Parts: sequence; C-alpha cells; structure tokens
Amino acid sequence: MVATQDALLAQMRRGTLQYCVLSLLADEERYGFDLVRGLAELDGMVTSEGTIYPLLSRLRRDGLVESNWQESPSGPPRRYYRLTNAGRAALDAFRLEWRRFRDAVDHFVERTDER
Amino acid sequence: MSTRADELINEYLDRLEEELADFPSTRRRELVQEISAHIAEARASLENEDEASIRNLLDRMGDPADIAAEAAGPPPAEASRRPEAIVQEPRAGAIEIGALVLLLIGGLVLPVIGWIVGVVLLWVSSAWTLPQKLLGTLVVPGGLALPIGLGVLATSSATCVQVPLPATPNAMACSSGGSGG
Repeated sequence: MVATQDALLAQMRRGTLQYCVLSLLADEERYGFDLVRGLAELDGMVTSEGTIYPLLSRLRRDGLVESNWQESPSGPPRRYYRLTNAGRAALDAFRLEWRRFRDAVDHFVERTDER
Repeated sequence: MSTRADELINEYLDRLEEELADFPSTRRRELVQEISAHIAEARASLENEDEASIRNLLDRMGDPADIAAEAAGPPPAEASRRPEAIVQEPRAGAIEIGALVLLLIGGLVLPVIGWIVGVVLLWVSSAWTLPQKLLGTLVVPGGLALPIGLGVLATSSATCVQVPLPATPNAMACSSGGSGG
C-alpha cells in the first residue's frame, strides 16, 4: 500500500510539476536555481533538484519556454527562462482542466473525510 | 576541505556525464553545464562547507541516473510498460483470418483441400491455444466430428436413426407456439 501510494504520488507530481514550473514563470523570468528554490518552498514538489533541468530542456524544445544567458553578479552566467505565448496558453488550459479535476476529486474525497 | 568538496562535485558531474553518454553532445553539455552552475550556486549559499554539507547538497540534486532518465523522456514507469502489453496481445493477422475463412467455407469452394489448408493455417497460427485448435479442427463446420459421428451412426444403427438437424427443434417450437396462440 505504501509502495503503490509512493508511486502514485510520484506520478501525480510528475504530471503536474511542469505546470508548476510554468506558473512560476508566469509573472517573471527566473533562472534554474531560483526556480528550484521556488518549488522547494512547498513540501513534496521536488524530490531531486537535478531533474528540473531535463524538464526545462523539454519545455524549451516544446516551445513553452524560452531562455537566454545573463551575467551573474557572482559566479558563472545564469540561464534565465521565461514563458512563451504557447506556454501561457498551455498553462491557462491546464488551469481550467485542473480546477475541474480537483473539484471533482474533492467532491468525493473531502466528503468521505467528514463522515 | 575545499579540495575534497571539489573532488566530490567532480565525481558527481563525471557520473552525470557518463549517464548522459547516449545523448547528443549539445544536450549533454547543456545539462551538465546547468547542473554544475546549480551546484556552484548551492555551494556558495552553504553556511559552512564541509564534506557532510557537500554530500547533502549532491543528494538533493538526485541520482545522475534519475536525471538521465528524466532527460530520456516522460513517464518511465507507466507509459513504457503499457504499449508492450498491447503489442503482445494476439491480434487477428492474415493467417488467422485465412484459417477462419477456409475452415468455414473453404470446403465449399475447393472440397476437402480448402478445409485442409484451413486446418494447417489454424495449427500454424500462434493466436490460439491447443484446446482451441483441437476444437477448431473437430467441431467447426466441415470439421471431422460430424463425418466421424455420422459414420459411426450409419454403421451401428443404419435403419432407424435420423440425424438430428439443427432446424428440427426450432420447427417444433414454432408449431407448438402457433397452436397455443
């Protein structure tokens, strides 16, 4: 039970993580380390920080984010990511679907909880 | 201490490079570059740098194999297992369709031979189990069961037995229904 629940959580995280990343980029551009820190503020969203980079790379190849290198005040240059129009559209579409899905699950799960 | 830290970090990046060996060099370089920048940044924000804190930092980065798996594509667990299962499921191919057609009507088109070819195809196919193949050989219309059965009946009690035709019960049911209404 615990093992399958872990697997389920991992899958849910995997499915939603990219939209959390897109959300973090909705208002401002961020570089990788900053993004990871933003995600890590909420418990359980990132288990291994390094896997964010392949995800960012995929989002970039899918045209949902774009990036450019900028000098950093300290240390090596940073790659900053920002949302593209396609990324914003994908995020908006997901928000709609997510609300519907979340409400449906809440409808059953939360009610069972109250009994 | 800083040399030991450098060692640990370099080991980690080397392992990452190895795990990404199958990727195009531009993607590999890009990932290693970004992750190494991340490590540098995290290292700079450490309050006091010792071996334990560096190891902890690298643990948080995750296993290089996991990073490579993520880079290889989405859902390793579910999605890669399911299509396999679908592929392995027996599907009706040319052999199976040919076997069915020939078993059912092959004997009409090309007496005996058509049916025999159907049986051969039936046994060649891997879509059916052994009992199913026996059933198909003996029972399907034109199968061996009916001729053998008829032969036995004809020799044992040739005078009085009528072969029960499938139509007979239906006909009886109809007539009884008609008289009742």
